[in-house]
Amino acid sequence: MIVAEDSVLLREGIVRLLGEAGFEVVGQAGDGEELMRKARAHKPDVAIVDIRMPPTHTDEGLRAARAIREELPDTGVLVLSQYVEEEYALELLSDDAAGVGYLLKDRVSDLDRFADAIRRVAEGGSALDPEVVSQMLGRRRAEDPLGELTEREREVLALMAEGRSNQAIAEGLTISGRAVEKHVTSIFVKLELAPAAEDHRRVLAVLAFLGS
Amino acid sequence: MSGPRRRLIALAALALAFGACALAVVLGGAHNTDRGAYAALALAIGWGFTGTGLYVWTRRSASNLGPLMCAVGFAGLWKALTFSNDGAVFTIGSLGAVLIYALLVHLLLSFPSGRLESRLERGLVAIAYFNTTVLQLAGLVFTDPAKSGCAKCPGNALLIERSEAAHVIAAAQIDIAVAVLGAVVAVLYRHWRTGTPGQARAFTPVLAVGSVTFALLMTSLVVEQAEASSELARALTLALFASIACLPFAFLGGLLRARFSQAEAISSLVGRLGDGGGRGVLRDALAQALGDEDLQLAYWVPDQGVYVDAAGRPMRIDPPPPGKLATPIEHEGERIAAIVHAAELAEQPELVQTVGAAAALTLRNERLDAELRAKVAELQASRSRIVQAGYEQRRQLERDLHDGAQQRLMALGINLRLIRERIEREPEARELLDASLEELGEATSELRELARGIHPAVLTNRGLEAALKGLATRSPVPVRVLATPEDRLPLSIEAAVYFVVAEALTNAARYAQAQTVTVSVARRNGQIELEVSDDGVGGADADRGSGLRGLQDRVAALDGRMELRSADGEGTVVRARIPCG
Repeated sequence: MIVAEDSVLLREGIVRLLGEAGFEVVGQAGDGEELMRKARAHKPDVAIVDIRMPPTHTDEGLRAARAIREELPDTGVLVLSQYVEEEYALELLSDDAAGVGYLLKDRVSDLDRFADAIRRVAEGGSALDPEVVSQMLGRRRAEDPLGELTEREREVLALMAEGRSNQAIAEGLTISGRAVEKHVTSIFVKLELAPAAEDHRRVLAVLAFLGS
Repeated sequence: MSGPRRRLIALAALALAFGACALAVVLGGAHNTDRGAYAALALAIGWGFTGTGLYVWTRRSASNLGPLMCAVGFAGLWKALTFSNDGAVFTIGSLGAVLIYALLVHLLLSFPSGRLESRLERGLVAIAYFNTTVLQLAGLVFTDPAKSGCAKCPGNALLIERSEAAHVIAAAQIDIAVAVLGAVVAVLYRHWRTGTPGQARAFTPVLAVGSVTFALLMTSLVVEQAEASSELARALTLALFASIACLPFAFLGGLLRARFSQAEAISSLVGRLGDGGGRGVLRDALAQALGDEDLQLAYWVPDQGVYVDAAGRPMRIDPPPPGKLATPIEHEGERIAAIVHAAELAEQPELVQTVGAAAALTLRNERLDAELRAKVAELQASRSRIVQAGYEQRRQLERDLHDGAQQRLMALGINLRLIRERIEREPEARELLDASLEELGEATSELRELARGIHPAVLTNRGLEAALKGLATRSPVPVRVLATPEDRLPLSIEAAVYFVVAEALTNAARYAQAQTVTVSVARRNGQIELEVSDDGVGGADADRGSGLRGLQDRVAALDGRMELRSADGEGTVVRARIPCG
């Protein structure tokens, strides 16, 4: 695992936290270039990348994330951002949600969920910040098929959009795996989406719907 | 009586006395024919040139024309001394007998500006002077007039030794003169062709008579060299002198013509100024009066110590643009403006000054207009700079928050979290930490919202569409963004549009009880058109509540306009137009 974050204070905090959670941090980077160099050298399972880094402090992290996904397909990228911007989330996940995550920086201190997101990304899944999902779900549309979903289905859809597996959804909502499957099928039918087997494809389909 | 005036009167008296002497000498000359005619011509040339020369000198004291014309007059009288029966006077006369031709070349080439403009002209004049002074003297010391066809002439006081060299030198003098005169005629023709209309007007009579003079001079020189019929030579010489005698009047006529055209220009200018009219009329009238289509007006703004154009934009005229000159115009001792005109008009400073004086009053009024425009432009620019600086500061502030306080709080949160893991067995401390963490979480998200409100980073990084989408997403009232410009706009415009939309959305959610809001931003006809409308209760007023007022100022700082329509019960529409290249 590599951590790229220009604030040394925060970077070291994150590294310590990751160590606590049992992850092995093989490299640290302060900017996009250093990140790429170390990623090539160590080929980590996951790179945790701050979106705003020197030199321009705009979206270096996003660009580095794309570059890593292209060059090192076995390395997942989890992008951290001070603010949640739907635009960035869609840019990052809408091409290929596999092995990509986008989280608000605040999530870092909730170690269990942070670790869960890291693991999903490492395994080629995806992780999308709940706030992005709720913003997208909360947006009203002219003819809103979301209105046809039941309360439970909306909860399932939100967790699905965050990139969680059926099993994780079942645990989160304390319902059976079979129930989750039923809800998912119903959601896909109501939203007129083509069924997708893998979790990250499911994220893609849901995002395409929500982002439209 | 002023010094210069006294000098001119002394010169006039000298010319009169010298003329009287010359008259006596010519009439008493024993070795010449046609004495009466020559006496009349000598006086006509001498007094004609000095008289007109003195007049021009008084009118154009800065120009060389007056002195040169006077010099031609005196040289004409000097030449007459060759009629003398006295050896010394005859010799003096012979020495300066041809100087008048060099002075004429100098005079004609300097007309009408009084200056020799090119190296060719200066070279021709220098050769002419050399030919008529140095070579004349060189020839004279070897010439015995008695043995060269003038039996009755008195002795040459400068004669050293009669020699064939005299012939050689005389022949060389004639060859040089013919060549110089040919070149002079060509240069004069070019002057006439390339001058401004005003110059051409002044030049026509001078060119006409001058060309005849030089043509006669050349012919007579050629005839003299060929030693053809003496009758022909005599007639040619008389004709030549007659034509030289006409020249001062050609000069005077030329200058009068120029003055007449000035008078015409000024009267038409005054007429046009009387007609009134809008901006640009004065410039056009002055351009026509001075015959300079590219003429520009620069108005003096005393407060700022600069010249500005009619639109109030600063104008640099010191130094003036290439090929131009700036003539300052004053009114009652106060600097008003400057006319930036073609450098050729420097020959008629009187005209420019007179035209300027005629227009001074109008210029003063227009200057006040221009000054006002300059102030407005300056205010507009400074307002826009202040707003721009404001955006820059907000951006910097957001970044400082992001890189500083926000990161530190985040790191603090992580540390607290780690501590929490370690004090698993002490419930009280854990509770305290949990409360701290919660507090910290609140602080972090408040700070985040504050920073985003100061300046949304996504606006800088991704532009309006992304930033407006973010606004729409976070808005509690459903928002439809109908259109956003595809291209990036200048930061200050994007920021203004963003904050107008943000404020309108806040108002729609907070006061208007709106169900939906639509936002549309389009680039049309060189401006950004922004509209935010809701279906709420209406009744918003920009004068109450500083939010919209401040936005109006921001939009106005970009030269734009913002209007608010919010009748009770009919929703609220915020519209803004901002010029955008």
